[in-house]
Amino acid sequence: MPLALQALLPFIALLAAAAMVRTRPRNPANGWIAFGATAVAAGVAMVELFRLSPGEHVDVPYLTSFPYADLAIRLDGLSLAFASVTLVTAALLMLARQLVQGDRREPWLGWLLTAAAAGAVILAANLLLVYVALQLLTLAWSGALDETAPRRRELRLSLQIADIGLLLAAASAIQSVGTSAFSGVPSDTFGVATFFLVLLPVVIRVGALARVFSGPAASVVFEPAIAWVAPAGYLLLRLLALMGGQLPDQRIAVVVFAGGALAAAGLAALAIWQRTGARLAPLLIAAEAAIALALSVGGDPLLTVASSWAWLTLIPVTGLLSVRMPRESAAYGLSLVQLAMIPGSLAFVGVLLGGLALSARGLLLGMIPIALAVVFALVAIVSNARVARSIQLDVATAWAGALLLVAALPIIVINPLVLPAAGTVRPVPGGTIAANLLGIRTVAGSWPALLVSLALAAVLGLALGWLGGRVPFRLPRRRGRRARPRFQLRWPVPVQSPTLPGWSRLVLWGGFFVAVGIAAARP
Amino acid sequence: MIVYLPAVLFAVGLLVVYGSAGRWRQAGTIAMMVAAAWSLALLVDPGSAAWAIGPLAAILLHPSPSQRVRSSFEGLTRRGVTIAASMLAALFLASRLPIGENPVLVSAIPWFLAAVGAAWFVSPSDQPERLQGQVLMTAGLAGVILAAVPAGPTTAGVAGAMALMPIAGVRARVPGQLRPMFDGLLLLLAAVAVILAATTPAIGRYDLLDLSLNLTGPVLLATALLLVAGVLVTPVGSEWVALLGLLALAAAAPSVRWSALAALVAVATVLERRAERPAWLAVGMLGITPVLAALAASSWSPRVQAVSLALGLVLMLLAAGTGLLRVLALPTTAFLLLLAVGSLSAGQLVRFQWIAAVGALLLGSRALLNTVMQTSGAREGLRDPLIMGLLLLAIGARDSLGLGDLAVVLLLIDLALVRIDDGGARAKGWRGRSLSLARSSWPPSVTFAGATMAVIADVQASLILGLLAALTWAGLQLAPLVDRHHAGAPARERPRSVLGWIGPALSIAAGVAPALILRMLRLSG
Repeated sequence: MPLALQALLPFIALLAAAAMVRTRPRNPANGWIAFGATAVAAGVAMVELFRLSPGEHVDVPYLTSFPYADLAIRLDGLSLAFASVTLVTAALLMLARQLVQGDRREPWLGWLLTAAAAGAVILAANLLLVYVALQLLTLAWSGALDETAPRRRELRLSLQIADIGLLLAAASAIQSVGTSAFSGVPSDTFGVATFFLVLLPVVIRVGALARVFSGPAASVVFEPAIAWVAPAGYLLLRLLALMGGQLPDQRIAVVVFAGGALAAAGLAALAIWQRTGARLAPLLIAAEAAIALALSVGGDPLLTVASSWAWLTLIPVTGLLSVRMPRESAAYGLSLVQLAMIPGSLAFVGVLLGGLALSARGLLLGMIPIALAVVFALVAIVSNARVARSIQLDVATAWAGALLLVAALPIIVINPLVLPAAGTVRPVPGGTIAANLLGIRTVAGSWPALLVSLALAAVLGLALGWLGGRVPFRLPRRRGRRARPRFQLRWPVPVQSPTLPGWSRLVLWGGFFVAVGIAAARP
Repeated sequence: MIVYLPAVLFAVGLLVVYGSAGRWRQAGTIAMMVAAAWSLALLVDPGSAAWAIGPLAAILLHPSPSQRVRSSFEGLTRRGVTIAASMLAALFLASRLPIGENPVLVSAIPWFLAAVGAAWFVSPSDQPERLQGQVLMTAGLAGVILAAVPAGPTTAGVAGAMALMPIAGVRARVPGQLRPMFDGLLLLLAAVAVILAATTPAIGRYDLLDLSLNLTGPVLLATALLLVAGVLVTPVGSEWVALLGLLALAAAAPSVRWSALAALVAVATVLERRAERPAWLAVGMLGITPVLAALAASSWSPRVQAVSLALGLVLMLLAAGTGLLRVLALPTTAFLLLLAVGSLSAGQLVRFQWIAAVGALLLGSRALLNTVMQTSGAREGLRDPLIMGLLLLAIGARDSLGLGDLAVVLLLIDLALVRIDDGGARAKGWRGRSLSLARSSWPPSVTFAGATMAVIADVQASLILGLLAALTWAGLQLAPLVDRHHAGAPARERPRSVLGWIGPALSIAAGVAPALILRMLRLSG
């Protein structure tokens, strides 16, 4: 099969499924069609990833009318790793939704289009195409053809405006080197200003996790993992890849690292004071994203591996927490382990790798805020923990178990997913990190992941048996009052227009003619 | 002494016009016209007097009322001040832009003719006088340009014939039986223009006696846009007006080009008088540029030309809110500016860009101010002025990649064809969703494509322009919150037509395949 067709297969599967569900409304099989198509798309992405040689990248052009903005697909370790993880997460979310009883809403068309748009963002071969795909992604998950629609309006507008930063970055690349294609942009094209322009949409999406996502209001929520976390992580790592893997100014890197780490600590601290527990998960996911962001700007190959691990694993963790789970369920309990960032969780592996990298450079002190974030997260989790009354085998439980398994056996994802992604961002010398069945070995230290996970399981099991269903450490709850977020992002839509004096127009026109006069008079 | 006779005749004619009514007034107007033709024959060559055929016919077809309208003291004072000021301004301009060694009083006569027209337009005693004012302004503009940039008799005749258009705008309608055939012919011409633009590397120049027509890529695209707009969105029976825009774009001679634009504005403001003054000001600013190029001193001419072009465009954008001004005059002006900007030097281009940037800020600020102040009359939306601001910035970009030109075409399609009415907004199902998408700022709408290209083009030009374009694009995302589905209504008389889907379809097509339009611009540009 020609590569041009192979690269399109995920989109063909998703869009064909979307067309099918559109023509068969309310058909009980629609969910299975959506799940199947997304699973196929994920499988194709994984196959392409496995077939890729280390360091290899392929640009598959389809239309070359614009020499600086071809319609092309990029197949490299970073794009295929993110595409695989994102589509697998999307498929699991669809499966979880399909198995929910009693919810008769039909989200399949929107979800399939969102998954396709997310795939387009990740697989686009140039910055301009990424920008267009991001807009399509926002349209797909919001469904707001009418731009005045109130649903998620503030977030949608924030994303649309923040994404203009990416457009400016693409324009500056076109202005500098005549193209915005990833293959054609030298590593010194982008400066600090461009980095911050692209960082803006990343920060907005991470902020959406903290401020807008308040836990799954519906049985399954699709956009946090697929439309926010995945594009945010991919955008940041892709930009770093275009910049040669690190920022040109180390001071900026320090500032961004500090900002991310402190934000993580702050968000985790905020989680402690969440009485209702509904916003616990979003705050801690946002804290993990902030940690991933902090680790991304390091100039060390091991830090790049750590950040790739952190972003790639954050997608399925966010997906898991987008499924509504009873608080006394095993799935909820297991998902809290991921949020706690304790040894045995996916996030801890990333934190550990980051710590090892910084320690090797004598900068271990830089991990203090991240360590604080971990501690705060643990306190917040413990105060909200519930003992599972029964273990029900459902998608969420299996999903949570799988994530714990990956944390125990990181070799499952390090070699096929994380290393190719990190290797695209910057070269990772051989021997920097190696994974085996027992754990991870790096140039700066080792991590016996399997042993630690088994120990964690044993400790938790003993604790459950000893506590007998009661968790002793819990902060007192205020009953009967729903926690309200203090700061709300609101675009000002004036109900009653403020009045302005009549001479305002005169001032405006006067200013215009003065400016024209200056332009005319300048030499 | 004989060279001053045209001036004497003009003065006598002016006195007769202001002192009488009916046939005497008509005779006085004819005398002024003959004086202007005489001066042209003296300044250029006798063949240029062919310019007078059109204006004379217009005066004969539009006689003055036999009774003068009684004016109050304030009205008389206003008219007196207006005519005095306009004549003084004309004399000043004529003295600053002399034609060779000719006496100022001779070379000033076409200026005086335009000045009288402007005075009658600004302070008319009645509606017929206002219309005659438009005739004189159009004729005067053609005459001034002919004096500065001489042309053959055919060209002069065609330029002068534009003075008939204000009369035609009032009376001429395509007969009902012929309308389907006429519309079909226009659409066929549009299709041919698009195919030629997409496939033929060089169309070249066509000469009809001494009248030259240029048919390059941008002109062919503009032709298609104007013809489609003429069929779809002009008032019933006024489809022929699009041909004026065509003539303005295709004519090589500046006298025909700018007088055709003046005629287009005159016809456009027959029905919609809301923004006629800024539109005519724009025509004046734009029409003076060939005169400056030919007659002004080289020390200040390029500077004033750049300022004049930019100001003229800003004024036209301010005027082009609704009606024929928006769907025909604005695209014509924008394309003319697109062609004119290409000949500016680097320094003058920067000047143009400055004024374009300030103009874009003015458009957005003014709309915001009107929204906040909720002034009487139609509440202007924020979206259209922001798109016009992007259009301004894109015209000034003049980037080597051609993206600025592409952005201009896309945004003009949006303004002239897509975002002009609210038709179909309440449609359900796929049709309603398609219409919503076509009129939105989401990809693949033409708004999204045009704005994106404008930002990229302006970043090529300069960082500040790029940031301003990005800010404007950001404002465009917020505009729907402020607007209340304000819709321009260019054709109150246009009945619902099955062709109403063409605008949204063009939006999606242009948004999906802007590369095709870029190819058309580059292929034969």
